Amino acid sequence: MENFDAIVIGAGHAGCESALALARMGNKTLLLTISLDAVAFLACNPSIGGTAKGQLVSEIDALGGEMGIIADRTALQIRMLNSGKGPAVQSLRAQADKNAYHMEMKKVLEGEKNLYLRQGEVVDISLDGDEKIITTSVGLKYKARAVVLATGVYLESEIIIGKTREKTGPNGFKNSHGLSDSLEKLGLKLLRFKTGTPVRLHRRSIDFSKMEVQYGDEYISGFSYLTKHKIENKKDCYLTYTTSKTHEIIRNNLDKAPAITGEIVGVGPRYCPSIETKVVRFADKERHQLFLEPEAENTEEMYLQGFSTSMPADIQKEMVESVIGLEHAEIMRDAYAIEYDCIDPTELNPTLELKKIKGLFFAGQINGTSGYEEAGAQGIVAGINAALYLANKEMLVLKRSDAYIGVLIDDIVTKGTNEPYRMMTSRAEYRLKLRQDNADLRLTEIGRKVGLVSDKRYQIFLDKKSKMKEVEEILNKKVKVDEKLVNFYSSHNESVPKESVRYRDMLKRANIDIFDIQKEFDEFKDYDYDILEKVNINMKYEGYLKQQEEEIEKALANEKITIPEDFDYSAIKGLRQEAIEKLIKIKPLNIGQASRISGVSPADISVLSVYVKKFKRG
Amino acid sequence: MKTIVSISTPLGRGAISIVRMSGKDSLKIALKVFHLKEREIKPRYMYFGKLEIEKGVFEECLMVYFKAPNSYTGEDIVEFQIHGGVLLAQKVVELCVKKGCSLAESGEFSKRAFLNGKITLDKAEAIIGEINAESEAELNSSLKITNGKLAEKIDEEQKKLTELLAEIEVSFDYPEYDYEDIVKAKVYDVIRKIKKENDEIIEMSKSAVYLKNGINVAIVGRANVGKSSLLNALLGEERAIVTDIEGTTRDSLKESFMHKGVKINLIDTAGIRKTDDVVEKIGIEKSLKSLKSADVVLFVRDGSSSETEEDREIKQNIKDKVVINIINKTDKPRVLKEKENEVEVSAITNKNINLLKDMIVETIIKNDIDANALILTNERQLATLKKCDEWIEKIFKAKELSMDVIAMLIKNLWKELGKITGNTENEDIISLIFSKFCLGK
Repeated sequence: MENFDAIVIGAGHAGCESALALARMGNKTLLLTISLDAVAFLACNPSIGGTAKGQLVSEIDALGGEMGIIADRTALQIRMLNSGKGPAVQSLRAQADKNAYHMEMKKVLEGEKNLYLRQGEVVDISLDGDEKIITTSVGLKYKARAVVLATGVYLESEIIIGKTREKTGPNGFKNSHGLSDSLEKLGLKLLRFKTGTPVRLHRRSIDFSKMEVQYGDEYISGFSYLTKHKIENKKDCYLTYTTSKTHEIIRNNLDKAPAITGEIVGVGPRYCPSIETKVVRFADKERHQLFLEPEAENTEEMYLQGFSTSMPADIQKEMVESVIGLEHAEIMRDAYAIEYDCIDPTELNPTLELKKIKGLFFAGQINGTSGYEEAGAQGIVAGINAALYLANKEMLVLKRSDAYIGVLIDDIVTKGTNEPYRMMTSRAEYRLKLRQDNADLRLTEIGRKVGLVSDKRYQIFLDKKSKMKEVEEILNKKVKVDEKLVNFYSSHNESVPKESVRYRDMLKRANIDIFDIQKEFDEFKDYDYDILEKVNINMKYEGYLKQQEEEIEKALANEKITIPEDFDYSAIKGLRQEAIEKLIKIKPLNIGQASRISGVSPADISVLSVYVKKFKRG
Repeated sequence: MKTIVSISTPLGRGAISIVRMSGKDSLKIALKVFHLKEREIKPRYMYFGKLEIEKGVFEECLMVYFKAPNSYTGEDIVEFQIHGGVLLAQKVVELCVKKGCSLAESGEFSKRAFLNGKITLDKAEAIIGEINAESEAELNSSLKITNGKLAEKIDEEQKKLTELLAEIEVSFDYPEYDYEDIVKAKVYDVIRKIKKENDEIIEMSKSAVYLKNGINVAIVGRANVGKSSLLNALLGEERAIVTDIEGTTRDSLKESFMHKGVKINLIDTAGIRKTDDVVEKIGIEKSLKSLKSADVVLFVRDGSSSETEEDREIKQNIKDKVVINIINKTDKPRVLKEKENEVEVSAITNKNINLLKDMIVETIIKNDIDANALILTNERQLATLKKCDEWIEKIFKAKELSMDVIAMLIKNLWKELGKITGNTENEDIISLIFSKFCLGK
């Protein structure tokens, strides 16, 4: 039996980040995957980022993760979403080359000195005191004190296309058989979730002339704070629509749709309905949007976003051919639904460690989430915490006011989820603070403290901070009213000030931003867009940021009242039964987390705080 | 631990109310507001004295002091027994808060009793078990205050905002979809409607506001109809203790008295008193000036003489106000022919003076305050509504800013409103997004 400090099961987006974090923090780490060809595989849409997800990627990056770097390196197109709607909701979205993404991540894993990447299907986990013993399907055994489970959608997964059910993982990879049983033996209750993916089409068979081209944004930076180059747009995407004929075909074949007939028992996500669900639920909508996205640079496969289905393959063909521009489309891969086992994330602490078993961590879709970014975000936190666990140090819990990662983990471990959980900007209450542009300012210091942020990354961060400070100091300088200033104000349709003004005051005008000032006044000419942008946002939104800070302060007061781990809720008969059950299940770390549990009322919280104080006093 | 205060008796129009403080500063705070002859306060003795409700306005009351640990909570406790009535009890609470008390949470006295070992675990559990029920009752009763209409209104408003937010949020979270981005005009349309409804709610809660601030009453009438004697009759013996004064100029003189737990402010009494001793001609103008801030106008006419041009002129001036017509000098034979819906009083014999006081209160405070209603909750409710108004103000100010900021403010407004009904769950908006819009990969 081979010994490791840590073992990560699954080399998807969660597993890769976990394993890298563990190895980079100095632990001898084994990363097991069912197939080396499935490492960091983009099993569904060939894109990284998107609203709220873009923030997650930059946050992973700021903590010292890999996803952003590889997404930037393999991007085929990049866009800043919501650019007209304000900094709080802007997010990057990149089309990624799925082959390159897989290869690049694999290369990074292979190059990491403490990391051992190995093909092998885990069928059993057992405990030997503090140690966890992992057995693979070929009978090999490995031992480690810390284990991260990141099995994605592979646990007892089944692919469904019409009447056909196959016990495989995504894209025909082998599924994981046996591990579910082993988890149940460890006392875990498993849930069954469902998701799906649309058809892939051959590029040559698509009539793009009937579609609208979707271009990328020129000259914008990527996700990673280490990426220096601007992202080049190599490929375009296209927008098309379903037709009334598509809807008719679907309606005529609903009896063959497993999602509708009830053959699929797994709970699917509301935000990701199959096309048949959309047609049924939104019957009055005449057409649905579909996007064609390139899968990779060296392939002709195109992904048809918005067309996820589990209809029989022959019906799928009919459906596809009814779409504008796809009249002669060649399907290269069928769409399918996939069902899989996952755990109830309320079994976890906000550290992503299982409450019941110390040293056993869970990350990614096994926790009932969806999305590469959500997986990566949990992966890096689970990896960091497994490493901190091994080092016997206090584990990392990001707060809701620190990062989208904090919102994500707090949501799933506190409220649980009854569908695959997707990150949305609407879920974050402090999104003016949790921006795409400032993830490094929010998190790099934290990543440095836990030991994952490299010297290089840290230096870049420090430089940026000092540059920002310089700019802020220049902003305090006064400018006297002369012809230049008069022209500057009037050319921006602003009334000319009577006395000399500070640059800072200029920013108070609606029609003047820092880039306007940069164009006119030489003092700012040496500063990068990135630096100026942040300062600009900080100045323009000063009042609102302050207001949000105050809200955060208020909320943090409750987060600071910790609840002892051995606290006995059942002894408090004054709490309502529902609240007692929920509290025992969730075991909140503090009163703040307790207050977010659904079914725990403000009155319960007030009773609870009294008892917690009493308990602590002894 | 903080010293806490609350009204301990059910609110309504009971004969007495008890306001209770608990905590180490109880006595210190009590002595800042309670004026009595005795120098030394012995525990468990009842003392008579006066509370200075506001500057110059006194209320007689009884006070008892319990010294820790021999009290219900095990802390120092002071109880004031005051005349019944919502306003008064509330004023006393406010007074204590002003001097350093915190408002007690629901059930907090019992919690402290338990924490200090005054009651056993069994008993504590029983009491704390009721806290939930109590706080639910609190929520219900606070809404009952305007016959459930308020709750309905709040729900409606929140729903409108939820829909608005769903539309805004979907444009943030699904920018690639062909749902037309919501335009600011629509956003502000909804906010303006909410603002209007909010104003209506505040209007509906006005009784409560009157309870808090008192009713402003103006006495108008031509010279020599007996305004001044009516004023004195209304103030009665209390006049001695209710000399006012806000402001420094005699023009803004205001004199107040309590009736049925409601404070009645007779405004611009300087004008009335002045007309008695100076040139009578300026009488009308003077009394008309006080109309603006009056909630109720007492239009005084002399029953013993005929209607004059001046009477008619005044009538014209007060036609938009809430008016109680008063016929004074009914101790003399009636000469005045024109009859209105009127009260006949005599400032000399005090005839119907009490009835008039009742009328003043009842004209304004139409809704009886629900006996179950907790005024503290109501206080919070009003404060919450005012906070909502502030958010609305901020939303209007942000009109030129990007949608993310506007959305943030609307969410705050939505949350603030939800505090009244207890609905602040974010998931609502997300659910609506998915039920309303067709999205997905």
